[in-house]
Formats: sequence, structure tokens, C-alpha cells
Amino acid sequence: MNRAEQGGASPAVAETAAQCWKCGKAGGDGHFCAACGAIQRLPRGTDHFQFFGLPRKLWMAMEELERRYHQLSWKLHPDNFARGTEEEQEMSLERGSQLNDAYRVLREPVARVEYLLALEGMRKEGTTKQQAPPELLEEVFELNESLDELRSSREGNQHAAEMTALRRRLEEAARAFEEKLAEVDEQLMAAAREWDATVDAGDAAAGRAALGKMNEILNRRSYIRNLVRGVNEELAK
Amino acid sequence: MGRTVGIDLGTTNSLVAWWDPAVGRPECITGPYGSTLCPSVVSLDADGTIVVGEPARRRLLTQPERTIYSVKRLMGRGLEDVQEELKLFPFRIDAGSKQVIRVRLGEREFTPPEISSFILRELKSWAENFFGEAVDRAVITVPAYFNDAQRQATRDAGRLAGLEVLRLVNEPTAAALAYGLHKSQRGLVAVYDLGGGTFDISVLKLISTGEGDIYQVLSTNGDTHLGGDDIDNAMLAAARREIEAREGVKLEGHPEAVQELRKALVAAKHALSADEKAAVTVALPGGAAYAEEWTRAELEEVLAPIFERTMGPVKQALADAHQKPQAMEEVVMVGGATRTPLVRRRVEEYFGRAPHTELNPDEVVALGAAVQADILESGVKNMLLLDVTPLSLGIETMGGVVAHIIPRNSTIPASAQDTFTNSADNQTGIVIHVVQGERELASDCRSLARFTLHMPPMPAGGARVEVKFLIDASGILQVEARDMRTGKMQTVEVQPSYGLNDTEIERMLEESIEYAEQDFATRQAIEARNEAESILAATEKGLAGEAAGALSAAERAAIGAAMAELREVKGGEDYKLIRARIDALNQATAGLAEAMMNQVLHATVEGKKLSEV
Repeated sequence: MNRAEQGGASPAVAETAAQCWKCGKAGGDGHFCAACGAIQRLPRGTDHFQFFGLPRKLWMAMEELERRYHQLSWKLHPDNFARGTEEEQEMSLERGSQLNDAYRVLREPVARVEYLLALEGMRKEGTTKQQAPPELLEEVFELNESLDELRSSREGNQHAAEMTALRRRLEEAARAFEEKLAEVDEQLMAAAREWDATVDAGDAAAGRAALGKMNEILNRRSYIRNLVRGVNEELAK
Repeated sequence: MGRTVGIDLGTTNSLVAWWDPAVGRPECITGPYGSTLCPSVVSLDADGTIVVGEPARRRLLTQPERTIYSVKRLMGRGLEDVQEELKLFPFRIDAGSKQVIRVRLGEREFTPPEISSFILRELKSWAENFFGEAVDRAVITVPAYFNDAQRQATRDAGRLAGLEVLRLVNEPTAAALAYGLHKSQRGLVAVYDLGGGTFDISVLKLISTGEGDIYQVLSTNGDTHLGGDDIDNAMLAAARREIEAREGVKLEGHPEAVQELRKALVAAKHALSADEKAAVTVALPGGAAYAEEWTRAELEEVLAPIFERTMGPVKQALADAHQKPQAMEEVVMVGGATRTPLVRRRVEEYFGRAPHTELNPDEVVALGAAVQADILESGVKNMLLLDVTPLSLGIETMGGVVAHIIPRNSTIPASAQDTFTNSADNQTGIVIHVVQGERELASDCRSLARFTLHMPPMPAGGARVEVKFLIDASGILQVEARDMRTGKMQTVEVQPSYGLNDTEIERMLEESIEYAEQDFATRQAIEARNEAESILAATEKGLAGEAAGALSAAERAAIGAAMAELREVKGGEDYKLIRARIDALNQATAGLAEAMMNQVLHATVEGKKLSEV
């Protein structure tokens, strides 16, 4: 199986409908023709930001996004076209599914960042994912030792008191890492604000830098998250 | 164009409902036996007739070899999937079945979608009798946790029954729709649906918008092989153990006795929802008898582990919706098995809130299906259902690892795109394996389909084909592929891993039309036979009466010959021949009929004064 590496900015297609397939007139919000109200075919490569008519920025008013989602659901859902032509049903399926996909991604702050990075061809996984971030090396080393101890003590006949102490140590470590995770999330939000500023300023070079920073933070984040999950799973055994 | 209905194709019972515009609410349609429930039982008569519903249920006792129940458990499954089922259910499955199971009824074999289509046909005819009009479209409900293959099998059943399936709707969501009509709650709702053979839990959010109410499903979970059937099986197993221990009687090889016992236990189970005790008395082969009094406590002992099995999915659904049980503002109970006091009590304890049980738990799903059918049919709506896909969709990658591309609980329709390239020079095709499930390895997930992507001959890595995976509003997968260089779409021939392909469905459709013709012929023969009986009786009466005196000897002989000829064929199946001989007799008796008429007229006139004539 060969999945091609994702990446490269997809060709941005203007969301404004060129000409309505049904009445030939131009205009409308992209989803529907302003003149005849017919649903419009989804241009290839329309991204989730464009779909909602939003700039490619990370800060979003969530209530507004939800309101818009419900509004568009009401109009684009295949229910509305059950009696329509096959073509209209197809268009509603295309638009209706992207509406759901876009909302699913944009409503989650981290998923939103990941999506933007992929869109900008900047999401690079794997290189740092498996490695501990340098500033965490020591803590990770200690944590792994405690984990090993817990596993081997389970096989042997360890003293109950020792087990309890070990578990407590691990729980504490997991909590410490969860705090780190919150820190990382804050860093991510700061970088996101940086990105938004570069969009407003039209500063492409600074934009690339912000994206690179977010990519790094995301890798660190997923490393810590896996770590916390691993500890919790081990403790639950 | 005919009518549209909502159908609940259940494991134990099936129902059909419609939206009654006169009263502004959905109604279930009552069948010929006075109930809205059509037992999901199908039997093949020795003369080839398919018997469905109540009469088929009676045949479970008299002709278990020709009769099947709970076929929903086999929908969309392969032979290796149903080994557990086979220990508990008397399914007679053809050992040669591969991707599609074949079940033996008497001398014929059917696939589960075909058997389900017989049930759908029966419901369709209930509705057609009710409307006095054809019914050709339907919304059919499925368990929320049904996978793609099970959904496809249900849609195929609809097609085979001559119904255009407008939409498959998840059962708990349909129930929420039906309830939504009665009250205007807002906020979070949990639907606990323990049916005959499936369990579903859905968490919904009701949202009021300017346009109307949105029913948004946040998460769903379940077990497609857990339900009232399992309670019956557990009771049956307990009773059989006791019979063996006490009477030394083994019921293997006595399917009639097992069915008899099952029937009595199910009746006791129902009684125990209201009563504390229920007596079960069944005669056993060899003259012994099983005479036991079941108490509610004994039933609950059997029931408790089954209830426990529902809690895993309940907790997962709440976790996926990021909610706590106490956050649910309404809890809705669906399915016959939620009538048992234990289930009601435990659900109430868990959510800390009394569940809704106002609507008949057997009918509520069909009613919801009728609501959705009306939304699709009329185009006028004041509510919108946003449902989710219950299982993650993935594709198998290097080393058998699954790359999940559409996560579970994504609102449908949903889609995902992926780009594929050739790994070797001039490689012209790649096989894509699509799976459904949450596990890391493709071999642990449910195989949905395989298809071959065609690539233009290019150096390795040069070809680029973009594939779009789309889950439609019925939760069924569609695949599209496009060569990114040329922008050309390619047709993707998806081979379902389980289930029927288009050719098989076409063949079955043809067959079903043939059988429909056969059914028609049988019915015609019966009608012609009845008519022959009555005309023969009337002729005999006429010949014995006064009017016969007016007949010539030749006329008498002709009538006698025509009667003999009709008697000769009236027992046969050739309805056209019977009709021809009826016509011949009618002609032969024309004189007699006239004489009888005159006589009647004469008698009437004679008794009256001239002025009155």
C-alpha cells in the first residue's frame, strides 16, 4: 500500500460561484445561487476555512461557528434533496459531508492547527515524535524507570507497601506531565496568535516561522500525551 | 408513484407506520391479525408458498425445519462470524456459505436479505391494504451500531421487496424523533434501546434554531448481538439443565420440544414484568413434563449479566460525548426488553432520573421512521436529524496497520480523502482494503470492501490517484477515485467483503418476480377452485328445481358433460384451465339460468296485482 505523502498547499479555489449550473447567473454565497436558489457544485480543493467563508486564521468565535454550522446543516443536508434530481442529491452529499468534516476539524483547537499545518504543507511527523523533547529527558528517564519497576514488581512478590509507594510516585509523575501538557497547549495558543498576526500583516516569512513552531509544539504535545496515556494504562492494570 | 412508509425491521417483531396528516402524528398500521406487530418469522410451505408473521410463528412449533426467526442476527455477516449464534439459534446454514450466509428452509435456500425481504413484503402489503394504494418507498430503521455490511444487507432487503429505500435511520435516533413530537425538551438526551437482538445507546443534543429543532447525535455505541433473545436463550439453557438433571431428558434432536419450551418461557418472561411469579408447564418427549414456577427474582438472576453487558457501551458513549450520566436531561427507553422492571430500575439508578416510557417501546422506532419518511417525502420540515457513524473507517496500510480516516461518531454524511501513488515503476494498480472498527490491525477490524485503483504506467511515485471515501446519510460507504494528473474520475468497483454484489441482487430480483408470479398463480388457482365449487353447487340445485323441467334432453346432457369436465380439473393448479371450464359450464347452463330467472319473475308477478308490476 502506498499512501502518497500529504502536503503541498492545495490549489486554492475561490469559493464564489462563477456561474450557476442551473440558471447561468453569477452571485451567491457559494453554496446556493443568489438568483435561482439552486445548490452549487463544490469546487475541487475547497478547504474547510473557505467552506465556512472564514480567513485562514486560528482564532475563531466558537458560538458563531456553531450557529453557522447549524444554519448550513439546515440548508445543505441531503434531507432537503430527497425529492431533487440525482445531480442535486450528489451536490448536497458533497457539500453536506464537507460541512460536517469542516466543523469536526475546526471546532477542536488542536485539530484546527493540525489541519492548517497540513494545508500549508508544514505538518511533519515522525522525526521528533518518538524522541523525548530535550528539556524533558531527565523526567522521562525517571518515569520509564518507575514504569519498569512497576512491571517487574507485578511479576515478583513485592511488598504491598512498596507497591503503593511506587504507584503513588507514578501517579504524581503523570500529574506533572499533565501539567506540562497544559503548558504546551498555552504555547500552542501563543503560536496560533502569532500566526493570525502574520496573516493580518501579510508577512509570509514570519508566517512560515509560526507554522514551524506550531509543528514542533504539536510533536512535543503528542509525545507527552502518549506518555501520560501509557502511564495511566499501566496504572489501570 | 406510490406511498412512503416507515418500517422497523426488528429481530423479533417488525412494524410499519405512516405519517397521518389528519392528526399530525405518526401511526402504526394494524395487520390482518389485529396487531401492529408482525413477528419477524418466515416459513416456507411445502407447496412453495412463503408464510410470514403470525402464521409463520405458529409453524415454529409444527414445522421448525421450514421456519426461521431472528434472521436479523445473520444480516451482513459471514459464516465465521456466526459460529456463536449457531450454538444458540436453530439456524440451518449451508456449510458452503462464504461471504453470504445461506439458510435452509425445507427444500430451498435463502440469503438473510431475501428472508428479510419477505418480512418487508408482508409489511408492504399491510400498508397497501390499509391505503388501498401501492407502497413503493420506505425509510427503514437499523441498529445504530450496525456496520456498513449490515446496513447494505438491510438496503438490499428493501430492494428485493420492491421498495426504494429513501434512508436508513438509526433506531435510537428514530425513537428520539418520535418522542420529540410529544414534548419540547431541550438539552441532552440518552436513548437506551434494548431490542430483541440488538442493543444501542445514543447520546443526543436537542438544539432549537430559528428554522426548527435539530437532533444532533453526539455519540453512539452498542452491541449488535445482545437483546431479548439472549434473555430467552439464558432462560432456555437454565430450564434445559434442570430438565436434564431432574428428568434425565435431553432435548437435542427434538426441535419441536425446544420451541415449545422457548415459547412457554418467553410467555413467562413477559408475565414476570407485571407479576411476581409465572408457571411454566411443557410436556417433554417420553411422557415427562417440565412444570416449574419462575419467580421474578429467578428471571432477574438470568437477566442481570445481560444488563451488565449493556453498561460497557453506555459508558463508552458517554465518554465519547464528553458527558456524565447525571448530565442527561432526559432518558428514553426503547425496545421490548426495557419493559422488565430490572432494566428500568437499573437504568434509572445509573442516570439518576426516571426514564421516559410513555410511548409503546415496541412501536416507538417505527413511529420515528414514519416521521423521517414524512420529512423526506413532503420536503416540509421543522426538524433535522444529524446522525453519526458508529465505527471508525480505515484503510489497511503497510504491515496490516489501519490508518483511520473517518473517526467514529463523526456526523454523517462524512468524507475523507487520501492520495495514493505507485511504489514500483509502471505499476498499474493498487488494491485498497477498507475496514471498519477501532482496532490497530486490519485483521482485528471488520473488512468492508476491496477495490483496485488503476494507475497510469509511470515511474515509481509518479502516479497520483486521489480517493474520496464518503459515508452517506444512511451510514453507507461510497468510494470515488480521480487521477490527479488528468483530473479524470475512474469508476471504482467495490467488492463487498460480506454481502451481495449487484449481479446477485439482480438475479434475486428476477427470481423474486418469478416467485411473485408463482404466488399469483397459486392465489388464482385457489380463487378459481372456489368459484368452481359454487357454480357446481348452484347448477346442481338448479337441476333439482322446477325450472329444470323446461330443459331439453340435449341441454341436460350438455350441462352434465360440462359439469363432469369441470370436476375433472378443479383440483389442479392450472387456474386458466379451471376458468375455461367454468366459462363452458356457464354457457351450457345459459338456458337453465334463463328458465330459473323466468320462474322467479313469474312467481313474483303472480303474487302481486297488475298495477304493481
